Order: sequence, then structure tokens, then C-alpha cells
Amino acid sequence: MATPILEVTGLYRYFGGLPAVRDVTMRVPAGERRLLLGPNGAGKTTFFNLIAGDYPPSQGEIRIFGQNVTRKSANQRTQLGMARTYQIITLFPKNTLLHNVVISLVGLRDIRFNPWSDLRRQAALWDEARATLALVGLEHLADRTVSETSYGERRRLEIAMALAQKPKLLLLDEPLAGLSADERQDVQRLLQSIPRDVTIVMIEHDMDVALAFADVITVMQHGQVVVEGSRADVVADPKTREVYLGH
Amino acid sequence: MRFSAFNALPRLLVFAALLAMPWLVTSDYYVNIASQIVIAAILALSLNLLIGFGGMISLGHAAYLGVAAYLTIYLTAHAGFGHLTGAVIAIGATTVLAMLFGYLALRASGLGFLMITLALGQILWGVAYRWASLTGGDNGLGGLKRPHPFGLDLNDPIIFYYFVLFFLAIAVWCIARFIQSGLGQSLQGTRDQPRRMRALGYNVWLIQWLSFVFSGFWGAVAGLLYAYYHQFVSPQTLHLTTSAETLLMVIAGGTGTLLGPVVGAALVVILKNVVSAYITRWLILLGVIFVAIVLFMPEGLVPGARRALRALRGSSRTDTVAEASSIAKDGA
Repeated sequence: MATPILEVTGLYRYFGGLPAVRDVTMRVPAGERRLLLGPNGAGKTTFFNLIAGDYPPSQGEIRIFGQNVTRKSANQRTQLGMARTYQIITLFPKNTLLHNVVISLVGLRDIRFNPWSDLRRQAALWDEARATLALVGLEHLADRTVSETSYGERRRLEIAMALAQKPKLLLLDEPLAGLSADERQDVQRLLQSIPRDVTIVMIEHDMDVALAFADVITVMQHGQVVVEGSRADVVADPKTREVYLGH
Repeated sequence: MRFSAFNALPRLLVFAALLAMPWLVTSDYYVNIASQIVIAAILALSLNLLIGFGGMISLGHAAYLGVAAYLTIYLTAHAGFGHLTGAVIAIGATTVLAMLFGYLALRASGLGFLMITLALGQILWGVAYRWASLTGGDNGLGGLKRPHPFGLDLNDPIIFYYFVLFFLAIAVWCIARFIQSGLGQSLQGTRDQPRRMRALGYNVWLIQWLSFVFSGFWGAVAGLLYAYYHQFVSPQTLHLTTSAETLLMVIAGGTGTLLGPVVGAALVVILKNVVSAYITRWLILLGVIFVAIVLFMPEGLVPGARRALRALRGSSRTDTVAEASSIAKDGA
């Protein structure tokens, strides 16, 4: 069996005495589109933050690309080929869109420790950033500052910054949150255009988009995995109804 | 860039004023004040790296000024080292101290960081005050003779002024390059979005630490020049008030700008030396000016003046347009 891209075993995370994530085990093979579903407070974002390395788990093991990263920092995991977006947009608001993507590119390059070379003169970097913006349809806004753009454009920039790093594992935390119907379609098309050599784990509440996108769905509640399986299985499972309808 | 000419002009003006200073002022007294401004400006610029570009507010920056000054005087005047060796060791050892202090202070951020830098600074002050056999205690340490690099007589105020101005020019150049470099841009990223920076693969701690050490290095350079200027150092140099004064220069001039700390240094040094000769309670005046800055230009003098100039240019442009259109109407 091929090594899964993401392998989580017996993961726990307590905040104070409260378990936010309880005994989660999950295997995501290469190329899969995995959807995390669950009501608010189910522990999905906490689970994401554990995978991304924002804080360590209380118990359990996380492996990405076959490597145990449980004790590795967030930046070390990113260096291995993981990228993420945030539910709450986290950008550099005073900088241009182009500059935001350049910061993303520099994160994986040695020039981030160079105290002398002028970053503005690294033409290759800026060209690559422009190309990435073109990918998400923001090229015409490249020289605007983030604070001058719309919410939907910022969402796309979030995704552009993650894609710029050419990740092998991409974590998307509610990429459609707060978007209008038109914007949703744009982002949906964008997500569908991501090649299959990128494995994607996504949290999303928009059922139509999410269900169309996902290969495998994991439903979480109270920090635990309740149901896991293919689209049809999960939709048919009475436990899914229970989680969402409460009976 | 559309801003470059607009931004470069004030810098060139300040630089030209600094270059022409010995002709602008008439007496050695004022030339010496100018030298003090230049040395304070180097220190403020180095602190601004932390505050303006790193978002790390330090109240212990006197440590690098004072330690480098003590080391310079001790090594050259008391331990028998040559001027060059003494200078190199003083700056090197102070930079190593910055490595240690950075390691300790960066265990925290925000207020915790500030308190640790303050505590570390006060420890050094205590050591300088109490370890009298080495530091002379309250009497301080003196006996330093100014060096004669390349046959230049640094006892001449004007030559000394250009000597320190040369170092300021190098500091501004290096810091300007740093700000636009990969590391400098990374530092500004960690200031704005530390969590995002981690997720993008940046080692936030390491970036902050390297910048802290870089800042400490320039603080040490200021300390070396401080020792050459005063030929004397006392625990007062290491005291919290020195750190606070430097912080005031940065905030008053404008954090996160190159020119701001230089303007702030000029303001504080002039008030301290010149105005204090006429007004006994010059600190009250400093306080009033600082309150006025916070009220009217909370971002600092340099960005505030830029904003005011831009507003002025904007309104004059609309005036011209209105004038032009009224002329056109008259013509028709």
C-alpha cells in the first residue's frame, strides 16, 4: 500500500479540561479530495491547526508524506510541502496583492535569510507571483493593496498564496465562507482546476460545492469522527442526519 | 515608483543639511551638538529596526550603547589594547551580548518582551554601578584619548563630526538595504502576521533573533562613537532613562521610517542640550512637545509631515484646477 499523504493516529487535543479533538484517526491517500463536515464547534479547525502545527496535540501522532511531524513546528511542516488557507482571512493588508504572493514564495527560498539583496530586484520571483495571481484571476489587481480589494478577491488571494508554494498537501479552511453566489462559482472552478498531484483536505459548509468536490467525506461532532466514507455512504448514513438535524 | 522622488527629497535635504552643518553653525559647541545628534541617530535607527520593522518594543537598548562604550574605554585606556583592536573587540563582544539578550527576550513577545529587555538593561546598569573595581562605579570610567585614524585628528570638532557622520551614512545605507532585503521583508511580515508567516514556512523566532542581533550590532557602533565623543562613560549611560530617551526619539520621529529616528534624535538632543541652557525645566518642554506630537501627528514627525505635505499638495492642485477652469470660463 502506498504511503498516505496525511496519516493521523489517535489524535487528542484538550483546551483546559475540554477535549476539542478526541481520538481522531484519518488516512488521506495521494491525490484525494477529503471533505471535513460537522457543525460549529465540532473540532474541525482545531484538527486543522494540529495538522498545520499551530500547537502540538495532547496525544497521538501526525505523519505527512510518511514522516512523523508530531513534534515539528508549523514552518518545518510547510517546508516539507504543506500549505494552508485560513477561515479568517490572514493577509498582509498594507501590501499589494503581488507582494503578498512574493512573501509566500520567499518563505520556501533561502533568500528569506539574506540581509542584503534587494527583494524588489528579484525579477523571477515577481514574475512567478504574477503568474500565480493570473491563475486565480487576480492579475489585473496585482498592484493594488489588499485593503483596496473585495472580500471575494481576498479569499482568492488566500488560495493563491497557498498555491504559490506548489504544495503536495493543501489544507483549505472554508474557502467559500462569506462569498456571493458568483464568487463561489469562481472559487469552485479554481479548486477544480488544481491538479490531482495535490492532495486536498477541506473544511466547508456549502454542501452543494463541497459534496461535488469531495471524494471522501469525514463527519465530525464533539471532536470525534462520526461517519466516514464516500459521498453516497455519508449522505445515506442516518448518523449524518443526526449530527445535522439532531434526531 | 511614483513615491520615490517625493520620498527621496526630504532625505536628500536632511543629508545635505547634515553635510553642511559645520558651515551652518558658528561655534564648536554647536558642532559638538551635531556630533551628539549623529551618534544618537545611529542608536535610534538601530532601535527602530526592532520597533518599526519588527514590532518588538524594547526598553533596554541602552545596553548596547553602554556596554560597547564601557568596553571601548576599558580596553583602550585601561587594558592596553590598541584603538582598532579595542574597537573590534568592543563591537564584537557587544554583538555577542545581543545574541544572548535576544535569546532571552524573544522567549516572550509584546509586553513580556519589553519587560525582559528592561530587566536585562537594569541588570547591566546594576553591574556597572556596583562592580566599582572594573567600572569605576558611580565615578564612571574615563581616560580615553580619541584615536587618529588615517592621520585624522579627531580632537578637532569638525573632523570628529565628519567621522561620526561617515558612520551614520554607512548605518543608513546598510539598514536601508536590510529593510528591502529578503530578511528585512520577512521581519516586516512577522511584525504584521506572525502566524501566517509560520504557515508560509518562515522560522519567525530565527528571523526576529537575527534582526535583534543586527540591531544590537548598530547599537554597539553607536556606543563606540559615544565613547570616542565623551571619552567617559558612567552607569547613567546604561540607565533606563537612556533607553526611554532612545525610544522617544524613534516614536517622535516616526517608527518604521529611515528618516524618523534621525529627526527624533535631533529633536531630543537639541532640547536636552540647547534648550536646557535657557529653560531649567526642559523635561517639561520635552513632555509638552511629545504630547503635541502624539495629538497632532501620532504616527511621528516624519510620516506626519509627509501626510501634511501631501494634503497641502492635494489642495493646491485642486486650487490650480479650479483656477484653470475659471480662466477657461472667462475666456469663453
